[in-house]
Amino acid sequence: MRTLHRRRETLPAMLLLAPFLAAFLLFFLVPALQTFWLSLTDSSLTRTSAFVGLANYVTLVQDPSFWAALGNTFYFSLLTVLPLTVLGLVMALLVDRFTRAGPWLQGAFFLPFVLPISVMTLIADWMLQPSSGVVNYLLGMQRAWFADVHWAMPMVAIGTIWWTVGFNMLMFLAGLRNIPRELYEAAALDGARGWALFRHITWPQLRPVAWTALVLQLIASLKIFGQTYIMTTGGPYNTTRVTLHYMYETAFTQSDAGYAAAIATAFVIVVVLLSLLQGAIARRLGGAK
Amino acid sequence: MNRRTLLGLLALTPLLPTRADEVQVVRMWTLLSGGDGARMRALVDEFNASQQAVRVESTTLKWGEPFYTKLITASVVGAGPDLATIHLSRLPNLAGGGVLRPIAPAELAAVGLAGADFLPRQWTKSQYAGRTYAVPLDQHPLVLYYNKNLAGRAGLLDERGQLAPIEGMAALTEALRRVKAATGKPGLTMESAQSTYAIWRLWLSLLAQQGLPVVANGRFAYGAAGEATLARIAGWFQAGYATPGMDYPASTSQFMGGNAGFMLNGVWEVPELVRGSKAGTLGFEYGIVPLPKLYGNASAWADSHGFALPANGDKPMSAAKARAVLAFVAYVSRHSMGWAEGGHIPAYRPVAESAAALALQPNAQYAAAAHNVVYDPDGWYMGAAGPLEAIASKFLPAPLAGQLTPADALGRFETEAARLLKKRAPQY
Repeated sequence: MRTLHRRRETLPAMLLLAPFLAAFLLFFLVPALQTFWLSLTDSSLTRTSAFVGLANYVTLVQDPSFWAALGNTFYFSLLTVLPLTVLGLVMALLVDRFTRAGPWLQGAFFLPFVLPISVMTLIADWMLQPSSGVVNYLLGMQRAWFADVHWAMPMVAIGTIWWTVGFNMLMFLAGLRNIPRELYEAAALDGARGWALFRHITWPQLRPVAWTALVLQLIASLKIFGQTYIMTTGGPYNTTRVTLHYMYETAFTQSDAGYAAAIATAFVIVVVLLSLLQGAIARRLGGAK
Repeated sequence: MNRRTLLGLLALTPLLPTRADEVQVVRMWTLLSGGDGARMRALVDEFNASQQAVRVESTTLKWGEPFYTKLITASVVGAGPDLATIHLSRLPNLAGGGVLRPIAPAELAAVGLAGADFLPRQWTKSQYAGRTYAVPLDQHPLVLYYNKNLAGRAGLLDERGQLAPIEGMAALTEALRRVKAATGKPGLTMESAQSTYAIWRLWLSLLAQQGLPVVANGRFAYGAAGEATLARIAGWFQAGYATPGMDYPASTSQFMGGNAGFMLNGVWEVPELVRGSKAGTLGFEYGIVPLPKLYGNASAWADSHGFALPANGDKPMSAAKARAVLAFVAYVSRHSMGWAEGGHIPAYRPVAESAAALALQPNAQYAAAAHNVVYDPDGWYMGAAGPLEAIASKFLPAPLAGQLTPADALGRFETEAARLLKKRAPQY
């Protein structure tokens, strides 16, 4: 009886899962395995050729350009992950706090997120123009921000934060709205207010959301490509060239798909390791559930 | 209709497209934009109007690395166009990589063309491994534009109002200094922002003037002179004779606006000056000379456009299509006087050596440049928007803005390019 019941549930479950599984296999797992296979060959952009074993990986670990690009990727993540998470939380608190202006604030905070990357980068580029940009006008400067070694990456980071923070705000907002109001009412009866409410009710309830936001943000930041590709083209002299940009150049400018696949595979490993590390830290700190 | 009749009819269908009254459609991809693009469009329209058998459909794509990536991938999978404009400096890469289909002498002869019809230098650049892979269209060297009003105030003109000859690096530097001192405006303008090419072209020219190759036997061979030359150029920017950080449009508009004594650029800016001059909007008189002899000789970087036929993988074109394609190429060659008005030096001798072309102004002022041109050295990674140029464009502009020392910039350039030099040429 029991097995019959289970079988009756299996078929619909399989049917419902099938489209996702098919897409996952077709568009993720198979290409990922193919990429790994490609990384073991000496292939050009369009032609697969000679199996070379781990030769590409041996080159990779000795390639200063790869390490520099990886360093730039980490630097960008450092500049964006925490600010994006914290800012998203602050914005969500503001939207939640002001019942009347809340929806307006929510709209204003979320609006940049709907822009396509080309529009976002154009706006940032206009604002930061050396002689005609509003930022230099306000600061009374003529700085070419994207050509400046020290400022190029921070400017890309600021542009990215402005562009994507809305999504994190929505995540936190959903978390906030899930906190039972009774908790606050009970605490208020006990005389708690302001900071105490946040510290003892809001934050403990939001912590899992915060960790999720951090993990998603870390992955998103590590995957940066479009912003630097358009705004700085990786310059000045490669100081903002990130890992995916290096992979793109290797594959398309230099027609070296085998090596590019090795970069991609190595990068996936780095991203997965960092995500696992973050998860481990979260568990140790008791953040994740 | 019985089965045999049906099969018989089916067997005949492949013959249909070759009927004499059938129009051959030639799809062309071009990387020509701006004034060049307009001129090529006009040539296509004139050709289409001139006869009924062939119709050329031209698509203009953004030039640079994306154009070549697209051409390579499309050709390999058999989805490329019938005809493409390319830079002859990319021939070792494209022909060597199997992207292009060779053009047989008999195919050229069928449309009335022969190797001897083209200037030897361009014709040689159209050959790879002993076969013809392109029909050359033009040559566009690096030249020196000057503003006669500003140069005159700096005392740099002779009694005829032309630029007095400049010879040697010190003489050019002095000329730039005098413009700056006399007019308060920069002596020189050239694109100098990150990811710009002018500095690579100038550096390559000046190395050739010293008889130095960039790469020899798979190694960088310019040595200390490469660094010294880059330092001399960077010196102009550090001394304020030129403005660093300018992208291409900013640099040309600085010159067109009358705000710089000299401009180092390719001849493709000639039409804009001719137009501004005619319309009376330019505001100054200009002159053009070949890149001066600054070291041992007067070598100047140049590249050429050419027509090439993509190999298109396992879908090679029919003989009739090839004939149609080459008929268009022959037409453009014979009508390349219009192309010469774009500033380019035509490759087709009957036009290039005609009295009309020799008298064409301002082209005649810099015609001598054609005798001293150097192309990018041969190598699969060389050429317009090629892998090595892409790397050079990242590092070579940095010393102009004082971001890196010349030694540091070249050191990083070599580190990044090391893999390219070691790698064997890709087969696409």
